[in-house]
Amino acid sequence: MPATTSNLLSPELLAQLERLELVSRKIFRGKMKGERRSKRKGQSVEFADFRNYVAGDDLRFIDWNTYARLDRLFLKMFLEEEDLHFYVLLDASLSMDFGTPTKLQYAKQLAAALSFVGLVRADRVKIETLGQPTNKPAPNLRGRASVWRMLDYLDGVGAGESTSLATGIKNFCIRNPGKGILVLISDLMDKSGYETALRYLVSQQMDVYVIQILSAEEVDPDVKGDLKLVDCEDQDIAEITASAPLLQRYKQTLAAFTGGAKDFCTRRGMNYLLATNQLPVDQLVANYLRKRGLVR
Amino acid sequence: MSGFFSWWSNHFTPMLSWWQWLLILAVPPAIVLLYFLKLRREPLEVPSTFLWRKSIEDLHVNSIWQKLRQNLLLFLQLLIVALAIFALLRPGYRGSKLVGDRFVFLVDNSASMNARDIEGSRLTEAKRKVAEMIDQMRSGDVGMIVSFSDSARVEQPFTDNRRELRRRLDEITPSNRSTSLGEALRVAAGLANTGQGKDSNEAATEEALPTTLYIVSDGKFPDVQGFALGRMTPNYMPVGKPAANNLGITSFAVQKTEGASDRSQAFTRIENYGDEEANVQVTLLHDDVVIDVDEVKVAAHESAGVAFKLSDIESGVLEVKISPGGDLQADDRAWAVVSKPRRGNVLLVTPKNDALSLALGTPRAAELAEIVTVTPDFLDSKDYQQKAASGTYDLMIYDQCQPKEMPQANTLFIGRLPPLADWGYQKDKQPEKLIGPQIIDVESSHPLMQLIDLGNVIFVESVAFKLPPGGSRLIDSNQGILFAVAPREAFEDAVLGAEIVGSAEQLANTDWPRRLSFPVFVFNVVEYLAGGKQSADATLVTPGKMVTLRSANNADRLTVRLPSGTTKQIPRSKNSTFNFNDTEALGVYRVEESGVPTQSFAVNLFNSAESDIRPRPENSIKIGYVDVTGEGGSEGTRRELWRPLLLAAFLILLGEWYIYNRRVYI
Repeated sequence: MPATTSNLLSPELLAQLERLELVSRKIFRGKMKGERRSKRKGQSVEFADFRNYVAGDDLRFIDWNTYARLDRLFLKMFLEEEDLHFYVLLDASLSMDFGTPTKLQYAKQLAAALSFVGLVRADRVKIETLGQPTNKPAPNLRGRASVWRMLDYLDGVGAGESTSLATGIKNFCIRNPGKGILVLISDLMDKSGYETALRYLVSQQMDVYVIQILSAEEVDPDVKGDLKLVDCEDQDIAEITASAPLLQRYKQTLAAFTGGAKDFCTRRGMNYLLATNQLPVDQLVANYLRKRGLVR
Repeated sequence: MSGFFSWWSNHFTPMLSWWQWLLILAVPPAIVLLYFLKLRREPLEVPSTFLWRKSIEDLHVNSIWQKLRQNLLLFLQLLIVALAIFALLRPGYRGSKLVGDRFVFLVDNSASMNARDIEGSRLTEAKRKVAEMIDQMRSGDVGMIVSFSDSARVEQPFTDNRRELRRRLDEITPSNRSTSLGEALRVAAGLANTGQGKDSNEAATEEALPTTLYIVSDGKFPDVQGFALGRMTPNYMPVGKPAANNLGITSFAVQKTEGASDRSQAFTRIENYGDEEANVQVTLLHDDVVIDVDEVKVAAHESAGVAFKLSDIESGVLEVKISPGGDLQADDRAWAVVSKPRRGNVLLVTPKNDALSLALGTPRAAELAEIVTVTPDFLDSKDYQQKAASGTYDLMIYDQCQPKEMPQANTLFIGRLPPLADWGYQKDKQPEKLIGPQIIDVESSHPLMQLIDLGNVIFVESVAFKLPPGGSRLIDSNQGILFAVAPREAFEDAVLGAEIVGSAEQLANTDWPRRLSFPVFVFNVVEYLAGGKQSADATLVTPGKMVTLRSANNADRLTVRLPSGTTKQIPRSKNSTFNFNDTEALGVYRVEESGVPTQSFAVNLFNSAESDIRPRPENSIKIGYVDVTGEGGSEGTRRELWRPLLLAAFLILLGEWYIYNRRVYI
């Protein structure tokens, strides 16, 4: 792994991530042989079960030892090991370009960390952004050797997409019909709402993780006096006079918003996690995501 | 319209020219404009206005107050500017006149100023008014404070130290005295119209300067006649509500019931100074125990009397209370001391007078006084001189003789003149005689002449004498005075010009001893002059008056226990009496001699003028020939308001800053 490529992953973090692997609650059918057991019985070294021989079965899997003892034909079945499809969907809208570090930077770090885990465990990793141009598809990555490509790709992702959350997710679903794990990293700040967008994912039957990233300024705004707030995405203007009740009201609204998102996700079998850009990525991965069962 | 303009010019003195005003008045619209043009709002880029918008919408939904709060800072700024503009208008109001630079404040602290028709009392209000005027004094102005009731007291001579003036003002205490403006004016004039200084260098500065005189009073004083104000300009500031309502006891006395000497009655007079009829409950207490209660209806501006019959009350203190008592409390209670008359010592100096001896020998007279009879040659003895000088006797009767010097006692001279020039006495010269005087007038209201009928009493001859100053004629004849009484220091001298016995040639000088009125007269003399009456008089004292006490046992020192409980020692004065001055408080004063209570006297208000607490209106007071103006007629001193306004603006500015920075909830 070239040392120059990235400031996304520190060596310490990498060392920590090496020990992890991605977990899916559902077991999916992969396209290639991978490192994880599949629901499908198949060829591997790990024995699963016996079954009666029926005509047409592959004679290679008949357990001849049992036939010698019992004079009956049994077929040995083995657990199939296969790879996992791991998708990261990044929100790279302008609103993600806020905070220190910016929410996008934080999202990229998180994506890199998770992808690294996937790549090390020979899963198939694909990182897309919401506004992924159709003519420039994201690379399918696999294997430890692809880490540098992944980081290189992430470095190229910049804020400035203007695709709405719903459109972005819809396009993603069309492009990637398969099953797998999807991690959506976004601030969910879409004026038309996140509900429509997330519903697309429900129909996708993916194991979905929604990670909402908020900046510290959004959680606890430090505003004073009479202000004209300009929305960086659509230049919408909101005039406020900062006062204690307004701030209190804002915090209530924010809590209601995140609470609503969590509720929405939980009801639909998705995992929801709220993170601020002040929480170190290694902690987020090592503690929070581990608890949620995304990594092990 | 003109009313508005006068109101405007009274209250405002704009400080700027018209174009400056235009500029200033353009400020608030400019602020509003800036606000609503949103020039003031600093743009701030945020990730999303999504949540903000929601928050604002929530707040908007709440109420218009939220909207107001949105612009709270705007309103505060407008308020600050408005206050500043208002301050530039120099608003003010008319204070009382403080013309000139020398002021005399006459503060009334008489009994009526204790009335509580005003919060606190009238005196408090008067002090407040004066304090307000002291506050208005400019630096360099001098003021003097005089408190007055029936006497005046300079609380603070002229000074420009306002703090000192205020302190002295606070120290004025209420009294129960009557009111007299005259003395206060004289005191004020004495200090204000100082005239030319004694030192020629100071003459220029010491010349009488114009002085403004403020009389802060309820006006319960008579007009002052014949007083020249000099360069003082008087102002009367009435204190008290015109509709003040008061009920007061104006008289309370205990008298023997006619015809039954062992019974007496307590008589109370209650006056109603209010505009409404009142039902008054009158309570009579004997040594703090209620013994009788009565109710009486007193019509508005009328008086009513209540008589309580008393039996077997020999001594003690009677107190009467009325309820309701109105706004003045001092006159709601009155006291009277009941005591057996003290037995007086009488020395009768006579060659021989059967009629007089007989009249003085009655048991009734013996009850009143101990009578010692001596012949005229006793007058030359040392014993007499000592006793006359020490005041052993209360009364000395000189019948057909006269002493060389007047004794320290009351005297009655019969047929001779006292050795005093006031009575027309000339040494070595026989006085003129009135031959066959016909009685034409008797002053029957005097205690000495009570119940005496001199209808056809005949006198053959009488000594002619002059009436000394302050004396009263008791029996007048067609030729001159026959009987008179006059004060001498602490004593009284009575002179009956006609002898009773008569000279040797005549059988008798008069047929009076044969009349019933003669023993009554002698009895009156003993009762009045030998002290019996005098001690009774001492039981009724008005506040602030001096009381002359006598010792029953020739003590050198008397102790007086005040109603408040404190005691005062009084030494014997040179004419063997004890003068007690400290009679400010109402109530019963008990006199003790070496620890034993001997006598009591009561101090009561009993002053109709003070009980009538309705204040005198403005412009009704005359001093000499000058009508005193009320405070309404004075030109106003502006009380400026711009300082508090600017202060308020500053405070609001601080508040705005705080709200802006701390985002506090209003």
